[in-house]
Amino acid sequence: MFVIVNGDNHPLPEPPTLSALLARLSPLGPFAVAHNEEFVPRGAYDACRISPGDRVDVVHPTAGG
Amino acid sequence: MHAAFPRVIAWMSFIQQREVEMREREMDDPLVLYGNRFSSRLLLGTSRYESPRQLTDAIGVADPAMLTVSLRRQLSASKESGQSFWDLLRETGRVILPNTAGCLSAREAVQTACMARELFQTKVIKLEVIGDEVSLQPDPFGLVEAASELVKLGFQVLPYCTEDWVLCRRLMNAGCEVLMPWAAPIGTGQGPRNPRALRELRERAPEIPLIIDAGIGLPSHACQVMEWGFDAVLINTAVSRAIDPVRMASAFASAIKAGRAAFVAGPMSVQEEAVSSTPEIGRPFTSGSIRICTSGTC
Repeated sequence: MFVIVNGDNHPLPEPPTLSALLARLSPLGPFAVAHNEEFVPRGAYDACRISPGDRVDVVHPTAGG
Repeated sequence: MHAAFPRVIAWMSFIQQREVEMREREMDDPLVLYGNRFSSRLLLGTSRYESPRQLTDAIGVADPAMLTVSLRRQLSASKESGQSFWDLLRETGRVILPNTAGCLSAREAVQTACMARELFQTKVIKLEVIGDEVSLQPDPFGLVEAASELVKLGFQVLPYCTEDWVLCRRLMNAGCEVLMPWAAPIGTGQGPRNPRALRELRERAPEIPLIIDAGIGLPSHACQVMEWGFDAVLINTAVSRAIDPVRMASAFASAIKAGRAAFVAGPMSVQEEAVSSTPEIGRPFTSGSIRICTSGTC
């Protein structure tokens, strides 16, 4: 069973929460997260449960105009 | 000591004094955005520079009020994202203005703004909702929808819009206290495409800060819109894709100051007919004579 992180398949973590997924991903530097295209505040990672096929976006600061 | 040395010191002192006076004058005429005062009227984008050093140098000479940034999925080995870019931003000490670049719907833009608020710890957002992927023209309907929602969520919204008066009025009604009309499509460098409509917008909305965003290619474009009374200019590609971006950043900074000074000074009104600037009286080789008064009684 997989979740889609930034467009790529990743194994569903155990327990199936956003915080468990992020612990496995260990994003480098500052980041923010959306689950199924909805922003998840940092304090809600533990409570955010993820299911197979869900989409998670992890974004970082980048140059922009 | 060389005889001219004291004169050089006096001259340098004079120059320094003038620079201080100019700085004070700029502070007397600040750019005010959502209650925050800025001495600079240049906003600088951070994208498409050759190196972080080049970006840092451009920031140093441009002295921008704000730096625009964005959010993206992390790309490996990118110099324009991640921790190193974050560190660069923090070291500049500049106010950060995140954008919602590339969002194609109000919903995407609102969610991106929420992520930006948490990441950059700021409630200001440059709102972009793109309605056409060829021209990158703003989607007026999505823009108003997203702006309304973001204002309710407590954001200070700076929408990237066109010069369309009805759209601008809707955005103001939605709670936007700053507007960012384009000069031309993003990245084109064409300069103001529709000067008459831009000037009419300025006349119809004299109080709200208007920042020209997108389509500026030359310092003369920036100077021109500042002369028309626009409050600031956001520049990115015109600086970063110049052959010498740092020198171009300096040129834009000078042009924006010159344009603002000209606007504040009040340009002369345009005349239909030629008017000699040199007095006609006393011109030689004319048939008439002029009596010169030497007694002071005439």
